[in-house]
Amino acid sequence: MTEVQINAEAPQSGNGFRAEMRRARRVMIAARWPVFAVLFLLVAAIAATLGGLLAPFDPNRQNLMLRLADPMSVGPDGGLFLLGSDALGRDVFSRLLYGARVSLTVGFAAIAVGGSIGITAGLLSGYFGGWLDDAIMRLGDIQLAFPFILLAIMFLVVLGSGVWNLILVLGIGQWVTYARIVRADTLSLREKEFVEAARAMGDSTLSIIFRTILPNILAPLTVIASFNVASVILSEAALSFLGLGVPPDVPTWGSMLAESRDTLVANKWWLAIFPGLAIMLTVLSFNILGDWLRDFLDPRLRERT
Amino acid sequence: MGAYIVRRLLQSIIVVIGVTLVSFLALQAGGDPTYLFVSERASAEEIEATRIALGFDRPLHEQYLSFVADLTRGDFGQSLSYRQPAMEIVLEALPATIELTFFAMLLALLLAIPLGVLAAINRGTAWDGSITTVSMLGQSIPSFWMGIMMILFFGLYIRLFPISGHVPFLTPLIAGDFGTAFSNLPRTIYHLVLPGIAVGTYSLARNTRLVRSSLLEVLEQDYVRTARSKGIPELRVLVSHALRNAWLPVVTIIGLEFGFLLGGVVVVETVFSYPGIGRLLFAAINQRDIPLVQAGVILLASIFILLNLLVDLIYVRLDPRVKLAGGRG
Amino acid sequence: MKSHGSLIRTIAAGCLCAVLLIGCVEQSDDTIVVGLSADITTFEPGMISSRDNSNIARHIFSSLFALGPEGEHIPELAHTLDVTEDGTGYIYTLNEGLTCHDGESLTAEDVAYTFNRIADPVNRFTGNAPGFVFTSIGFQNAEALDELRVQINIERKNPIAFGLITEINVHCKDSYEQMSLDEAATSPIGSGPYKLASWTRGSEVVLEKVREPANFERIVWRIIPEASTRTAELIAGNADIITNVVPEQVDAINESGRAEVQIVSGTRRMYLGYNLSEEHAALPGGDAIQDPDVRRALQYAVDVSTICLQLLGVECERATGLVNIQNANPDLTPYSYDPELAERLLDEAGWPRDDEGTRFAIRMQAGQGRYVNDVNVVLAIAQYLEDVGLDIELELMEWASVYTPLLRERSMGPLFFLGTGGGLWSPIYDMTDIAQVGSGTNYTHWSDPRWFDRWPDLVNTDDQDEQRAIINEMLEVFYDDGPWLHMYFQPDFYGVSNRIQWTARRDEYIEVFEATLR
Repeated sequence: MTEVQINAEAPQSGNGFRAEMRRARRVMIAARWPVFAVLFLLVAAIAATLGGLLAPFDPNRQNLMLRLADPMSVGPDGGLFLLGSDALGRDVFSRLLYGARVSLTVGFAAIAVGGSIGITAGLLSGYFGGWLDDAIMRLGDIQLAFPFILLAIMFLVVLGSGVWNLILVLGIGQWVTYARIVRADTLSLREKEFVEAARAMGDSTLSIIFRTILPNILAPLTVIASFNVASVILSEAALSFLGLGVPPDVPTWGSMLAESRDTLVANKWWLAIFPGLAIMLTVLSFNILGDWLRDFLDPRLRERT
Repeated sequence: MGAYIVRRLLQSIIVVIGVTLVSFLALQAGGDPTYLFVSERASAEEIEATRIALGFDRPLHEQYLSFVADLTRGDFGQSLSYRQPAMEIVLEALPATIELTFFAMLLALLLAIPLGVLAAINRGTAWDGSITTVSMLGQSIPSFWMGIMMILFFGLYIRLFPISGHVPFLTPLIAGDFGTAFSNLPRTIYHLVLPGIAVGTYSLARNTRLVRSSLLEVLEQDYVRTARSKGIPELRVLVSHALRNAWLPVVTIIGLEFGFLLGGVVVVETVFSYPGIGRLLFAAINQRDIPLVQAGVILLASIFILLNLLVDLIYVRLDPRVKLAGGRG
Repeated sequence: MKSHGSLIRTIAAGCLCAVLLIGCVEQSDDTIVVGLSADITTFEPGMISSRDNSNIARHIFSSLFALGPEGEHIPELAHTLDVTEDGTGYIYTLNEGLTCHDGESLTAEDVAYTFNRIADPVNRFTGNAPGFVFTSIGFQNAEALDELRVQINIERKNPIAFGLITEINVHCKDSYEQMSLDEAATSPIGSGPYKLASWTRGSEVVLEKVREPANFERIVWRIIPEASTRTAELIAGNADIITNVVPEQVDAINESGRAEVQIVSGTRRMYLGYNLSEEHAALPGGDAIQDPDVRRALQYAVDVSTICLQLLGVECERATGLVNIQNANPDLTPYSYDPELAERLLDEAGWPRDDEGTRFAIRMQAGQGRYVNDVNVVLAIAQYLEDVGLDIELELMEWASVYTPLLRERSMGPLFFLGTGGGLWSPIYDMTDIAQVGSGTNYTHWSDPRWFDRWPDLVNTDDQDEQRAIINEMLEVFYDDGPWLHMYFQPDFYGVSNRIQWTARRDEYIEVFEATLR
């Protein structure tokens, strides 16, 4: 991933924001693909929030007599199994909707956790330097020293699986990326005039860090965040697949895929295709969004638009 | 340069120690592991005797310190489930994973370079569009899903490739048995195709886009324009000037890639029942086989750290503009 | 560009060549391939504990006597068994001319050594042999009486010792005296029809024939933990026998035309247990299940037959207790599914539904991934119980490191799902789980004197009829007021290729000595 330059000469303030938003909309529509991505994510978000109302069945209601029903077959009480039913006769479509909630919540929450830790660590590291910087960076090195998934497996086996543990583990896996970028940007901003000015005016250190420096480094973080949500969703799917995700009565796309393994050989394709597609499209949308954001924020392209 | 190497080595050792501490604590935190090593109907005396025999009755810090002391003597302890030296078991499983990772990396690179170049040269056209789109898709597919789909497709519908099993190549090679190694090679590759694709797809996709964007950046540079204006043919411009500078980030990526792929290997090894280190470690963690986990984790971390070190050094050699001070980032 | 293109083409061509060359290498007339679901860890006889491990070891080591598919006691290395008057000495007379794989002759001295070595505290063995067999029979020591007769001494009279002794793998003395424990684990020298040719950990075990009875020259045991991969290998013709076929895959295998599924009614007792200890009586719902009337009511609430039929794909053998049907009390019939009766009985027992329709809340715990379709079965049970007014708090946990420790301490519950292995060779063996109130396998802490007071009578009598009468009496108590919600005997699913002729056993033993090509 190429480094993102910040236009560090002029501090961003509230006025330019709306102009930026308008430019964003213009550029995005011109680029076309990001529009689809944003639309898909909106659909996913709606599914996540309104899933309870939209789902035709209770996602956990078993119908042992109607197991592994084909898509568009009739369910109990005359309803329709839009996307078929799974090994316990639960409606795939409803589970997909509820799964959106879990997968997206876990995704965003993990980023929130990882982001908060990472940004704070990066700010402190970059601003104060010295032993604090060393300690934080070494801690990051240790964590990155071995494959994340092994770390995640170890912690989940020990702490037990569950939504909160999952969010914690996935979040902790993210912080170093944020910390490093924030630290680099903080370092370069630390000596700039407007920060000097704030210092001269007697602002407290905390205020300088959080109110002066932070807003100026947020832009590239949105790019990172977008890619990270994608990777967190993939990681959650993998962990659920290994049996370490949320408990079986909570539907997530990853665990639905895991459950589909045994019946694939029997040609029950809908159990694997739909959750797999859901994951793929969501991840794809975040990737497209992140890509577009990066191009958008790249000042060299700015003149051309 | 020498001082830099020494400092990085020391850093690496500290990191490795940190790794062992973290993995030790993580596994102890779940409660008394004794129960995993007695048979289902053992009596209370059996359990107690086993607890003492395996050393779980000692205080935590004592257990850890004795472990570290053993490490310095090269003794990684006995695997609790296999009752064999832990490092031996881990090293036995390592070649299979290296073969898989290497194959995936090769696949990813060999295809990424031409694809990325193709996309960069034909920027904005349908070629570029489709390559970029497919790459995006490739980065969005869960690797185990891909694995399952491939098992179904190639294992059942079109029986082209084997869907499980492993034929050793590295192990006989290292043992000096070149005859067996090279006669095994075709079958080794045959068994690696499906898992290799599953592991390598994400990297292939990402590298393609990386090659493309690096090349695009480089093509904009002044010296390339200069060469072009001098009338040097496009292909030569490409090869001699642009590629030479675009491959620096790729070199960095290769080193880190290996480590990254090692991580992704766990899930794929599980799906394909591939006897590598990922599957071994996953089972070991579930069975609280602490010495085995320690050995595996330390080994993997060491490989990763070594690779990072090498990559840093190569980076420094290739691009003298990079300063040696401080850490990365 | 061109160079890259031709490179790709070369690789593709190479792959194709590989395909054509080696496409047909896997199958061979003198080799049989078995696909197992779990890795094995050792060949040290004192350390073997998993069923898969024992099954492979069974081909490398023989035993004094063996258990047949229907539970018969069959001579193997020994031809006669005599038991002393007081029942504490088991005297086996060996066959003549026995040898181990390295040529050493196998005599009574070697057998005694085998037994004593397992029990030797210096070795710190923790496998099935010392941990279960020896503790169950009360092993004291073994001594060679002469060249061919060995005596196994146990603590006291024990009606099932003869069956348990069949599980001991016999080897020679000299070879094992010289081996370190490490070597014994990886390089066994056995007494059976096959010897270990190679072991690639996590991948496969290859055995080669050394003597009869054995039909195939080689057995390849492949470790394939992933169920769909295992099935795919069977259908593709790369495996002849596979274990643990997932019920949903049965049709696919049968329709493939290359293999079929043998479903045998196994001996593993699957049940929902009630933890009746004092600590658990204090938990929500724990007090309710103390009442045998409540437990009996719940028996009518779960549709076991449907669970079997829908989730396991087969009509399984219903349990009336803990003894395998052929040895169980013939007068007992499985509880029927009658949710209205369940509701009425619960009302009568003093647990009516409240305003929200709940009678009482209770926690249910289970491990996952250990038994056939266990997660789905547990979810289904929870649903049935909820339908009659219980509020179930379900906890599904990882088997080895979370659930098993709870089992050890007998602290799972108040409701818990479990399957314990049984056998066909003696009802008393099946009942042994609950031989004493305090025994490690009495997970339920049940203490009904009508059961436990009869044990000494059962063990001490030699009269078969009297034994049978006591057993039936005890089983009736277990059926009416026992600590289990009786469910089913787990059916075992084996995938068998059409290439071979082999019949699966019901007791989870896998033996391929008699398998042949069709």
